[in-house]
Amino acid sequence: MFLALGKNPAQLLGLVVAALTGPALAQDAEALLRDADRYRTGADNLRVDTLVQAYTSDGTLERERRYTVFAQSDRRTLVLMQSAAEKGQKVLMLGDDFWLLMPSSQRPMRITPMQKLLGDASTGDIATMRWSGDYSATLVGLEPCVDATVPTGAATVIQTTPPTSCYHLQLQAMRKGVTYQRIALWLGQQRHEPVRAQLYVQSDKLAKQALFEVDQALSSVSAMVLIDPLGKQKQTRIRYLARKERTVPVEWLNPMFLARSPVLE
Amino acid sequence: MARILCIHVLALAAVLEAATLRPAMAGEFSSSLRSQGLARQTATTGPLAQAHALYDGIAADQPSEGAVQLQLQGSAQWAGLQWHGDVLAQARGSAGGPGSTQVAGLEAYAAGQAGAWQWTAGRKVVGWDVGYGFRPNDLVQQEQRRTLVSQPLQGRPVLMAEQFGAESAWSLVAVNPTTGRDAMGIREPALAARWYQRVGSADTYAFARWGRRTQGSVGAAWAWVASDTLELHASLRHMERFDAWEDTSTQLAALSPASPWRPVLRQGVQQALVGGTWTNAKQVSVLMEAWWDGAAPSRTHWRQWAERNAALQRLGAAGAPPTAVAANLAWQTQAFSASPSLHRRNLFARLAWTTGAWECALDLLYHPADSGRLYTASLAWKGDRLRLEGGLRASAGPGASVVRQLPVQRQAYVQAVWVLN
Repeated sequence: MFLALGKNPAQLLGLVVAALTGPALAQDAEALLRDADRYRTGADNLRVDTLVQAYTSDGTLERERRYTVFAQSDRRTLVLMQSAAEKGQKVLMLGDDFWLLMPSSQRPMRITPMQKLLGDASTGDIATMRWSGDYSATLVGLEPCVDATVPTGAATVIQTTPPTSCYHLQLQAMRKGVTYQRIALWLGQQRHEPVRAQLYVQSDKLAKQALFEVDQALSSVSAMVLIDPLGKQKQTRIRYLARKERTVPVEWLNPMFLARSPVLE
Repeated sequence: MARILCIHVLALAAVLEAATLRPAMAGEFSSSLRSQGLARQTATTGPLAQAHALYDGIAADQPSEGAVQLQLQGSAQWAGLQWHGDVLAQARGSAGGPGSTQVAGLEAYAAGQAGAWQWTAGRKVVGWDVGYGFRPNDLVQQEQRRTLVSQPLQGRPVLMAEQFGAESAWSLVAVNPTTGRDAMGIREPALAARWYQRVGSADTYAFARWGRRTQGSVGAAWAWVASDTLELHASLRHMERFDAWEDTSTQLAALSPASPWRPVLRQGVQQALVGGTWTNAKQVSVLMEAWWDGAAPSRTHWRQWAERNAALQRLGAAGAPPTAVAANLAWQTQAFSASPSLHRRNLFARLAWTTGAWECALDLLYHPADSGRLYTASLAWKGDRLRLEGGLRASAGPGASVVRQLPVQRQAYVQAVWVLN
């Protein structure tokens, strides 16, 4: 082995360079991911008021739902359905474990990761506020941000000045309970804000495409537009109406407590 | 009567309080309007049909019916306590019968905290256990399962104390604390306890109950997410005693001057359920459950029941007074409500598919003891505030199977639910 390499100094040099730069690139990718997360969260323990608007392919508003999301540290999330049609429903996520609480049944039901995934904007889409910790990141390279094949649609209001050059990251799930198994993510080259993503399920099928809108101050993601590549390009816009730091009492994250139908906020 | 009136007044007051919240209070209010119709096709076979053939009108049929229901729910934080009320106002009408109106308090309770314990006092729905088709450890609510048309539940009077950790919980409940000591079934005064512990991807439960009449019972339940698509669950209960109905006829072919069915206390019985739910990415879901209900009538019981039916018919043919024979045949139908399960061994399967706003489902309850089957098919459409659904249920199987003896063999329903706010 050493003899073989000794006969080819260029190959040896290439390996040395790869060994030195490989970890650095990986570290950069993880740092980029943490930067991107800051645009979506801003704190370890959060309350996020969310509006989900589902549009038909011609841009007509089909359905509107409101949610309150308590995103807490250690991958603990409580989602409260606030719209009249779903009032009283709750979804609790503790790591890879999920419960659904229906107001009519008064008992928590264990749900599978697949059940969490279903719908135009799944509970996982609404509740997932961070990538780091759930995904390992690899930097693919610099690419143009805009993909002409992704329709922006009538419903979307994409940020006014999208960056031209983006870091392309490949995210691979490190845990079994995450909503998507693989994510291709593009971040602005200058500020590392999320610009767009392709979301792949377990079978490596492209489930949704995502476009991110950043607020005027360029400090946080104000909305995420999900485009179903199969369902006649139907779009779902998840708007983050308000974010504030909020650490919830520990019993709020116990499914048996939630079954009491407590008035939470 | 005064206590019932008091519960209704409390529930209404709580709802109104929540509906007119002052800004300083946290609270929630919701209301919905439900309209439903249920058509029933009376059986041409079975003991009730035979009774009517001998003496028309000897017993009331289950007629087709319709109802309009307005449900108001409110919760509010006030004076350091949580107040909750749930009221159902309904107008019902049945084919060939008079209509009726009714206001019922479904829930009315106050809840608060005392040290590490959270307490609740009032009428409340407290649902336990992990199964779908059968819930042996539903010790407080004792909810009727697999009803064709879903109805809002009415809570039980409870005094409850609960303690919650990060991954565990204790619940101690006194249910029906003010009812008489001889009350049976869901009205029996009892103490119940539940312990919960989360163990990774599984929920584990232990249960205990002490009833005034039925004395002790213990149980355990378990729900486990086995993979991305599969959930498994199981439930087991042992009862020291249980309430049952028994035919006290002394002779198979003797006419009884009054209903021979009497409540009795039976000894030592077990109930158990195992099941699982599988859901795929196309929103197809399959639920399968098997359960053993030791409190249900045995095969021997049903054989004797069928023999008595036949003996009563022979009496009618031999010239016995038709009114008496018809009444005895009609009383035989009381066997159908003697237990939540018709048979001890039960298999249940449900296939459901959701696509967009539509959901269709087909389920089957199968009794291996006599190959009797109950099929149910339903279709539902869910809009933003409106849900429309309809369905059919039919009995099938050999003519001698128990489900083929039920007074109603086919049912169809439609229901519309509007969420007002």
